[in-house]
Amino acid sequence: MRSLDLTTPMGVTVALLPEIALTVGALVVLMVNAWRHATPRDSRLSGYLALASLVPSAIALAYLWLGGARPDGAAYMVALDPFRFAALALILIATAGTILLSLGYLEREGLIAPEYYSLVLFAASGMMFMAGAEDLIVLFLGLEVMSVSVYVLAGFNRGSVFSAEAALKYFLIGAFASAFLLYGIALLWGATGSTGLAAIGARFGEGPPPLLGKLGLGLVLIGMGFKVASVPFHMWAPDVYDGSPTPVTGFMATGVKVAGFLALARILYEAFPGAQETWQPVVAALAVASMVLGNLVALSQRSLKRMLAYSSIAHAGYLLTALWPGTRLGSGATLLYLGAYTLTSLAAFGILSVLGRGGEREVTLDSIAGLARRRPYLAFALTVCMLSLLGFPGTFGFVGKWAILAAVVEVKQVVLAVILVLTTLLSAGYYLPVIMAAYMREPGGADSHEGAGLPRPAVLTVGLAVVVVILVGILPASVLASAMDTAGSLGAAGSAPVVGIGR
Amino acid sequence: MTQLLASIGFDRWILHVLLVLPLVGAIPVLLGPARLARGTALVITVLEFLLSVGLWWAVDTNPGTLQLTSSMPWIPAWGISYAVGIDGISLTMVLLTTLLMPLCVLGSWNYITQRERGYYAMLLTLLTGVLGVFVATDLFLFYVFWEVMLIPMYFIIGMWGGKNRLYAAIKFFVFTMAGSLLMLVAILVLAWAVAGRTGTLSFAYQHLLDNSNAVGSLAPWLFGAFALAFAIKVPMFPFHTWLPDAHVEAPTAGSVLLAGVLLKLGTYGFLRFAIPFFPQVAMSPWVTNLILVLALIGIVYGALVAMVQPDVKKLVAYSSVSHLGFVMLGIWAATVQSLQGAVMVMIGHGLSTGALFFLVGMLYERRHTRDIAAYGGIAKVVPVFSLIFTVVALSSIGLPGLNGFIGEFLVLLGSFRPHPVATAIATTGVIFAAAYLLWALQRIIYQKLDQRENESLTDLSLRELVVMVPLLAGILWMGLYPAPVLRKIEPAAIRFVESLRGPLQYQSGTEPTPAVRR
Repeated sequence: MRSLDLTTPMGVTVALLPEIALTVGALVVLMVNAWRHATPRDSRLSGYLALASLVPSAIALAYLWLGGARPDGAAYMVALDPFRFAALALILIATAGTILLSLGYLEREGLIAPEYYSLVLFAASGMMFMAGAEDLIVLFLGLEVMSVSVYVLAGFNRGSVFSAEAALKYFLIGAFASAFLLYGIALLWGATGSTGLAAIGARFGEGPPPLLGKLGLGLVLIGMGFKVASVPFHMWAPDVYDGSPTPVTGFMATGVKVAGFLALARILYEAFPGAQETWQPVVAALAVASMVLGNLVALSQRSLKRMLAYSSIAHAGYLLTALWPGTRLGSGATLLYLGAYTLTSLAAFGILSVLGRGGEREVTLDSIAGLARRRPYLAFALTVCMLSLLGFPGTFGFVGKWAILAAVVEVKQVVLAVILVLTTLLSAGYYLPVIMAAYMREPGGADSHEGAGLPRPAVLTVGLAVVVVILVGILPASVLASAMDTAGSLGAAGSAPVVGIGR
Repeated sequence: MTQLLASIGFDRWILHVLLVLPLVGAIPVLLGPARLARGTALVITVLEFLLSVGLWWAVDTNPGTLQLTSSMPWIPAWGISYAVGIDGISLTMVLLTTLLMPLCVLGSWNYITQRERGYYAMLLTLLTGVLGVFVATDLFLFYVFWEVMLIPMYFIIGMWGGKNRLYAAIKFFVFTMAGSLLMLVAILVLAWAVAGRTGTLSFAYQHLLDNSNAVGSLAPWLFGAFALAFAIKVPMFPFHTWLPDAHVEAPTAGSVLLAGVLLKLGTYGFLRFAIPFFPQVAMSPWVTNLILVLALIGIVYGALVAMVQPDVKKLVAYSSVSHLGFVMLGIWAATVQSLQGAVMVMIGHGLSTGALFFLVGMLYERRHTRDIAAYGGIAKVVPVFSLIFTVVALSSIGLPGLNGFIGEFLVLLGSFRPHPVATAIATTGVIFAAAYLLWALQRIIYQKLDQRENESLTDLSLRELVVMVPLLAGILWMGLYPAPVLRKIEPAAIRFVESLRGPLQYQSGTEPTPAVRR
């Protein structure tokens, strides 16, 4: 494919085809909902329509990615590199998985309001804009589109106080975080006269940025810290994750994290390539705090959903550790780990969504006792998910963790690596009991796990995710290599690794 | 025999087949009908054993280096390959593993009545994991096997174990993982340091071994990480607390495999990785003294604690701590004799402690208690059982003519010159072993038959005899004519000592450790 001139309307349009296709899809679903929004059948129709509208977006993405689209000159407003394409692919996967999980869930919980699906699509398009932004304003717009949609989704279970609480809490704190981010963007503009990432990076050049730049960076980090739920900006996450409908929780844990982290990676690597000394201590502090606190608090949770919520804080810590080195290996590890975490979480939340049924909000270890006897496949899938989240060899999660460890070891930061593995050990303390309850304890009653079968669309998601998690865990070569290749397209790719990984 | 094996290309495929066969075999076991599970598992493990016997002729142990090596790129961009190889020491360990496994299947024949398919599939998976650790020559591959092996054991303890099984299972898992995660970081640091020196990122064993001095001042830390992982597995005092729980709660076959094979992974790790990678650190006076002290504490403390156990399974479990202390002493004395002795203790302990756990399990299946006080005088009722129990216990004590003696004697002999005081203290362990085992023997088998329930005990069945006979044969063979086995181990041991001698002289200056050749 020819390189695209991103200063012309035509060029931008082609570059944004995946986002545009998705937005159009969202509008179509919304239109259909205007006439069909009452029965479960309408809800299903919207769901499948939403799923179908991912296809054009995916085709557009494949067209750009496989065609090797490159910007003519510097990227302007929106990135045009494999790193963005990988981000879009992850977001599409998370979205497709969420829709598939929602199909059965919404009907079962009696949440017949097909607008749900257009909100998911709008959120996804916001995520795409955010993850592919070359400009802080585009990033902010994407973030807001995503956030507003997800606020509504969090409160979608209108009958539940907890869902309402989740929505309100998420909205208030999200607005707060957006303000931080916006203020940071304003300061960066003040310091450099631009909101373009590349332009900011060029203005700051090598060495630490001036005070205004540092302040701006700090505020941006706070804003993004809220979005990805890193300690100390995590307080909202457990309640919101817990109160939201389970597929939405999965969407927040996967899609929102992917968009947040990849946008953050772009900001750090492109706008502050020479300022590693400035941001590395901050990122390290956030990472360590998230890993330690997330894992410690997750240990003491009774409810599995809350446990996964706290563990997602810990995973944010691992991902921040991956960003820390500022090298190609680091951004590659971020990408890989996000891939592993997305697939695993989708499956985990999918399984959770069928376990907690009939108004039973609390899924605890007791409620999955003896799952293996009644639902062997479900128990097996749950086990694979837990092992992958734990980062056990033979799963995708291990590949991701291995890459993160390699990235920090490569720049001789052994302390972070040691903290990462020690906190991983803590996490064994809450992932293993899940396996234990499912396999090693007796079922609570004769009728337990009666209805705990996955609806067919969810089987597809969970099954595919589990298969991929195992396959990549055993044969990670090609995924590793392509993640590293992809990472090479991001800003500071050249920051001298000790040994050339890949080609 | 050698020609015959060569004519079928045995040396080219055997290691791969040994690794793949159990894993593939686990599939029909898991998916087939439950009543066929144990039979299928038996066929596979027997086949595995028969195949592995060929290694005895196929592996040329004389050079002392890794043989039958082969390597396939796995993650080429990171220098990770599927690479395997075997030398005299790992050969004995592989054979021990493949011998114990069919016996474990037979030993579980009637004991495991629930969820058989899962159980036998787990046993087979465990077999792949353990063999993988013994033959892996790529550190990434080694780590994967090392960790993956945890899962089947975790399930075996947690699903088919005793009353307190959940606690024991998670303790076993977390203890092992604690060590291995730090080892993972150490492996990465080592690989990147070597890559910085040589320009090649690779996890191949030989490559890292040749350039391991590239780590410079980090060596003590890296050694510490490796050593911790292996010390937990051995287990050395004070990391041994998982062992009694896991051994006691595990079903019989689980205990046999834990004691017979899994503990050896730790000492094997010291021999293969921790010491060769960082010889200066490992053999420095400070580390040597620390290890020796811990090993001695293990020997004496393990024996003393074993003596006071009312539960016979716990007694056997603690005796492992004591025996493995001898292995550590033999390794750190680093003479050819002490090393041969260490490996002999590893084999001998696998046979006799494995047999002891089987016997305890057979008692338990009959009376459903492991309380020593619940027995007494059963020699009259179950003469065959009692005879075998006595022979096995005597071999564990180290009676000349049985296998335990050879190993411990060689360890003590080889360790005496470098560490006379430590050796003297270790000798008391042999005496304590006699004390606790003979006393237990007396209370279980001899004395008066004063409990009515014991009068109706049935003697060993044919199946149980089939389990015990190979072990007894091994015990007698090792005790009476250990020379063939010692010859297999010797070249690797000599090589090990020679690789240390240079740095040793450099370190200790006036007092080079003698490498005594026979």
